[in-house]
Amino acid sequence: MDPTAILDMAVTIALILLSLSFLLTIFRILRGPTLPDRIVGLDMLVAIAIGFIAVIGIKTRYALYVDIAIALGLVGFLATVAFARFVLSRGKTEDDILTESRNAAQRAAKDARRAAGNNGKGNT
Amino acid sequence: MSLFLINVLLALAWAAVTGSFTFLNLAFGFVLATGALSLIREQVGSVGYFSRARRVISLMLLFVYELILSAWKVAVLVLTPRMDLKPGIFAYPLKLDRDFEITLLANLITLTPGTLSVDVSDDRRFLYVHAIDCSDPDSIRRDIAEGFERKIMEAFH
Amino acid sequence: MMASLLTLVSAALVVIGAFFALVASIGLLRLPDVYTRMHAASKAGTMGSGLLLIALAIHAGDTGTMSRALAGVVFFLLTAPISAHLLAKAAYSVGYRLDAISVRDEMAENVTND
Repeated sequence: MDPTAILDMAVTIALILLSLSFLLTIFRILRGPTLPDRIVGLDMLVAIAIGFIAVIGIKTRYALYVDIAIALGLVGFLATVAFARFVLSRGKTEDDILTESRNAAQRAAKDARRAAGNNGKGNT
Repeated sequence: MSLFLINVLLALAWAAVTGSFTFLNLAFGFVLATGALSLIREQVGSVGYFSRARRVISLMLLFVYELILSAWKVAVLVLTPRMDLKPGIFAYPLKLDRDFEITLLANLITLTPGTLSVDVSDDRRFLYVHAIDCSDPDSIRRDIAEGFERKIMEAFH
Repeated sequence: MMASLLTLVSAALVVIGAFFALVASIGLLRLPDVYTRMHAASKAGTMGSGLLLIALAIHAGDTGTMSRALAGVVFFLLTAPISAHLLAKAAYSVGYRLDAISVRDEMAENVTND
């Protein structure tokens, strides 16, 4: 069999595999459940996109794609670093935020009840 | 370090003499210059240079080997139908003390089978490592100490 | 002969690299918590895109493209562990716990969470 034909077939197989992994990673990003999970997913998405660009570069024999891949890698790295800083500066997990809002709601309900009780006492 | 400079200069000289400054020709010139220097290593006192270069190269080869092994292990782990995981974080007592070496060790640990460095303690005595199979942390500690840490010490001390 | 051999090698690398990318994303889906998922993303993911770039370098054949692709591979190998480490450290210090099946956590004894 002709080597170029084999390469063409390999490129097609690789594109299918990469598309599948794109879909799986996007499912993880949508699913979460926490912010770091989504960040890992986005990081992985950049890695797959770089792979995609390399495969497209082989398919089209257009050498400029290498520069795009490197630039995307740089941007992806910076984005992950920035996201990590954001996780650190937010300083609380999704569970913390849930508990906080639940506590706040309870406190508000209690305040409202007390206010209503005072009003009733004032009227009599 | 000056020997490395001489090596680069010889490579440039080779490129100038052959009249082509392509990457491939420069690399070939570098290899030729290394060979020339190794012939006169007794006279110019470059024995240490060569043994250090050999140790740095052996560290790099070990790294590539471990990376392939680790990707393969992750693949096997992920594709087994019933995953039997025992993940956990263990503390690794550091023998290295310079920032550069600790950084290198942490990066190497991250790209090797089943381990991911999470943090360094403030006094730089412990490296906290997350392992995907943490049922026997002592054997992982031994592997790191006898593999990467020893090689890094040999290459940069 | 040499050229067709190189073509075959880069075809093999393309398929293997894509396979590792797929494995990494399956790992992302199946593993239980963020730390174990990081294992899959940082190892198999880096391996996948690295292999695909090496395949591109072999296939391109001219030195300019080749050296840029190899520089890209080295760059990814340097940055992947750093970003995984940063994210793990941030997640741990903020208080994302390990999954319940974890067997030990020696960091909790020594690190005081603020």
